Amino acid sequence: MNMSTRISRRTWLSSLPALGGLLLTGCTRERFVPPVVRGGLIGAADVLTMSTNRLLLSGQQLAREYNRSDIADPFPTWNQTNPRSAEYQRHASEGFKNWRLPISGHVARPRELSLDEIRRLPARTQITAHICEQGWSAIGEWTGVPLQRVLEEAGGVTPAARYVVIDTFDGWYEGYDLFEVAHAQTILAYGLNGRDLPRGNGAPLRLRVERQCGYKNVKFLKSIRVVESMAGIGRGTGGINSDFGFHWFAGV
Amino acid sequence: MGADSAAISEARSPAAETSGTTHSYNVRICHWINLVSCAYLLWSGVHIFLDFPELYWGHTGYRGYPAAFRLADWGLSWEQAGALGDRRWGRNYHFTFAWVFLINGLVYVVWNLYSTHFRNQMLPARDEWTVARLLAELRDHLRWRSRRQAPGGHYGALQKTSYLVLIFVFVPLMILTGIAQSPGLTAAMPVLLDVFGGRQSARTLHTIGTVALMLFVVVHVLEVAAAGFFVKVRSMITGK
Repeated sequence: MNMSTRISRRTWLSSLPALGGLLLTGCTRERFVPPVVRGGLIGAADVLTMSTNRLLLSGQQLAREYNRSDIADPFPTWNQTNPRSAEYQRHASEGFKNWRLPISGHVARPRELSLDEIRRLPARTQITAHICEQGWSAIGEWTGVPLQRVLEEAGGVTPAARYVVIDTFDGWYEGYDLFEVAHAQTILAYGLNGRDLPRGNGAPLRLRVERQCGYKNVKFLKSIRVVESMAGIGRGTGGINSDFGFHWFAGV
Repeated sequence: MGADSAAISEARSPAAETSGTTHSYNVRICHWINLVSCAYLLWSGVHIFLDFPELYWGHTGYRGYPAAFRLADWGLSWEQAGALGDRRWGRNYHFTFAWVFLINGLVYVVWNLYSTHFRNQMLPARDEWTVARLLAELRDHLRWRSRRQAPGGHYGALQKTSYLVLIFVFVPLMILTGIAQSPGLTAAMPVLLDVFGGRQSARTLHTIGTVALMLFVVVHVLEVAAAGFFVKVRSMITGK
């Protein structure tokens, strides 16, 4: 029983997901594997779930788009509906006229965009289902600009870029890999059901990632950072939800 | 003459008993992995449901939308249910053991399609699959005499039929109603939204299926008890 040479079953089991991740380092690892793979069976399942989803979605298929008659109006609100931060309250009281969205990190020309500048970019309107991980879902008509297009306003991402991090006024942050960012329906929405995005639904701007659960569709956007790694941000798992033990990849 | 027939039946009966009462390694290992996965899937599923204890029909459903089922109508308020359910734990374990269940199930099905288990022990013979025969077996089951129609330890026709329906119809439907709730997988396979009439319908069917599966397990365990609980459980562990 030489403990130094004997690999315990626990060690072996918990290294399985990492092994799976290692096999994918040759191609774009972050497209198939979460930024941090949890240990044990849960981590193995995370890798299987994300890889399967991404293989099946390799054609960047669109999520189902519905008819106007399916729309929920008023659209339900959930969780944070009015961030308490003084900065947010000031912007809200000014009608977001002085709100700016900084785009920083691994982009060619870091810059800030005002709400008007974002509204002048080519828009996309999509009637899609918001699918909460709790089990409810509601259909809304979202109008906004593809995130990819917004990043192009900052000169596009540089070769080192791996994740796009979005910070919000309610203290949340979430990371997204570039495959998710490149999807046509991944938009920064400023309109809901033909009107300005209401405060309860994330004014002035919220993210729509239609192939992931509600908690990845963050509200009250504060800034965008393009990074090489999620290490050092929050607890380093890639988002506030995964910091608290939820799935980083929320496609199920 | 009498001695001859005794010799024949003696020669036949051990073989008949062996094929009917012993379980292969594959069946035994898969059975117990399946039990553990189903237990985790059920318990984690209950946690997920308690966190949002309403069911709807169609593509949408949210708090305030007309519900098909509300736990609050059955005496457990939204807040009480929410305090009992932990969806973080539930989601983590549900999707972990869904993989264990799926992989284990695929190993079981592929292995036994390749071996003779399905063909020899689970496919009812043509003369077994008559209405009269199935009704007679059902009557026997209800009278707690489950083995009369199935001498030599073989599965009865009703038992074979229920296993086949469970494995090839019911379980696939549970998997499909499960993934029909996934935003990612429904983008890849939008037909899942159409066959079940919407994401919320799929969630409702998934829940109804869970209750049906629990009833199956209750009947299964009662049948095992009727046939001799310890002998049957031992045979599913040791293969003897």
